[in-house]
Amino acid sequence: MKRVVVHPERCVGCMQCMLACATAHSQSGVLFTAVRESPQPRPRVHVGVGLYGEGFPNRCRHCDPAPCQLACLPGAISRDSGTGTVLIDPERCINCASCAMACPFGVIRYHPEHHAPLGKTVAVKCDNCLARLRQGRIPACVEACKTGALTFEEADAALKRQTDAVARSVSRTAEEAPPAPGFALLTAARKSQLALKNP
Amino acid sequence: MQYVIIGNGVAGTHAAESIRRLDPQGVITLIAAEKDAPYCRPMISMLLEGSAGAHQLPIRGPDFYDTFKIDALGGDRVRAIDVAARAVTTAAGRRFSFDRLLIASGADPRPIKARGLHLENLFFMRTAAHVMAMLRVLPACRRALVLGGGLVGFKAAYALLRRGLAVTLLIRSGHPLSMQVDREAGAMILAALKKKGLTVRVQAEVTAFEGGATVTRAQLSDGSEIPCDLVVIGKGVLPALDFVPREAIAVDLGVVVDQHLETSAAGIFAAGDAAEAYDIARKTRWVNAIWPEAVAQGRVAGMNMAGRPTPYKGSLGRNVIRIFDLDVMTGGLVNPPPDARYTVLQHHDRRRQRYRKLVFRYDRLVGMVLVNAIEQGGVLLSLIQGEIPLRVRREALMAPSFNFRQLLPATA
Repeated sequence: MKRVVVHPERCVGCMQCMLACATAHSQSGVLFTAVRESPQPRPRVHVGVGLYGEGFPNRCRHCDPAPCQLACLPGAISRDSGTGTVLIDPERCINCASCAMACPFGVIRYHPEHHAPLGKTVAVKCDNCLARLRQGRIPACVEACKTGALTFEEADAALKRQTDAVARSVSRTAEEAPPAPGFALLTAARKSQLALKNP
Repeated sequence: MQYVIIGNGVAGTHAAESIRRLDPQGVITLIAAEKDAPYCRPMISMLLEGSAGAHQLPIRGPDFYDTFKIDALGGDRVRAIDVAARAVTTAAGRRFSFDRLLIASGADPRPIKARGLHLENLFFMRTAAHVMAMLRVLPACRRALVLGGGLVGFKAAYALLRRGLAVTLLIRSGHPLSMQVDREAGAMILAALKKKGLTVRVQAEVTAFEGGATVTRAQLSDGSEIPCDLVVIGKGVLPALDFVPREAIAVDLGVVVDQHLETSAAGIFAAGDAAEAYDIARKTRWVNAIWPEAVAQGRVAGMNMAGRPTPYKGSLGRNVIRIFDLDVMTGGLVNPPPDARYTVLQHHDRRRQRYRKLVFRYDRLVGMVLVNAIEQGGVLLSLIQGEIPLRVRREALMAPSFNFRQLLPATA
């Protein structure tokens, strides 16, 4: 089964995933009209800024067991058995923020949503774009990512690549391969800018 | 294997589920004082407020006990535990032998001392039945008096205010939620409530209730009186442990448990509001009578009872409340003792109505109060729960832009 894999070292913080996510979860599904919708579509992936200005696409990990699911008072959070996706039922959600207290990654937001009953503020988070997957499309954030910080791949393959990388790193001749030319330079430049600002 | 679980609150329910997953054959008997199926206790204030219906309260389906093959006895109370003979007896005179016992009896409202407690329209707010009884008399009530500025008193006052009653909240300390928040956040909450029409009296207590059959006024310790036709008593809770033999099972405020949630008597466990486990932030035993810990303890106790040794890291007091346009999230040690080991960072953005206070013990976060901008609160709480030494500057956690990325190492 394919899943979204995050490569934080490749994120440049362009936030295109956020735009794509909000659009994908809007009523119309089209950016041009989505910006005028009410309630305003909002992203479920959140690019956080690191201490040196690096980006990080913070999205729901769909943990198992999920702390939010255990903390949910009205039992509105469930797991889709096929994909392992943790879902929030907007009808049952009571907007108590118990899940905000439980989520160790801070990926849940609270606002009105067009999937929810009219005007009701509900807890909202990543749903792995299940609606798009059913149409044979890939998650919107992955489709939008230009730098490879978000990929959609078989979990086993991603794990094997990581295992191989660890294995290679023990070799005496192994060199630290940069994720892509430019990323290290970008971070180094930001660090030195920061150092200049706060000597 | 014979399992007996005392209490069908959320701890007992989760324990029964855990046991059944690991032991398909064992006999599980669940003895509960409340007749209702397992329901969500924190939501009863929403029932009072009218924002949730009774049909939303159950946390498990009607076929739950059958599916998990649990023999549930509702409406009976355990009277005694015979630790040596390994059996419990109930008020109805029934006797159950056990190999593993779980005390998940929860807590009862702390009684108050005052004259006139026999009058009608005096309520505790602990069970769904309490709230249903309140709802029956509510249409005839105009003026409510709520005793106690803790979570229960506070939620009751909020709910009754939303129902359109004139509400007076009586608090013994200087501000509401004094156990959960510091003075600064307390003042913000107090101001928000007053703005919405709540009358708050601080540093006062009721000495007597007066009236005919139903209550009509309350006499206060300062000599004044408050007219009221509905009273909610929310002065905290005490673990419900009158059936626990203290010579055989160590009891402090709650039943003392070790890191496997086992009591001083082998094979007898405790979880939830009745248990006194290690507190991560306070570094001592403490009763944290909150829903998420009851869930966690119920699960862990169940696994240990079913023979899978599972340690429990410890509990952490935490709460989140939404009051009108204020969101308040708190956790851990909020008001640290004056001690050089502790560092406190706080910032109050009055224009945005945001407040953030973080308490550190050396390089670890041990407590927090957030008013508004609570979305990242879970990240902070997990730092407290994990007792994680900080790699970043403490000030980084204060920034509104603080997020999970900042805890990861820089890539360069």
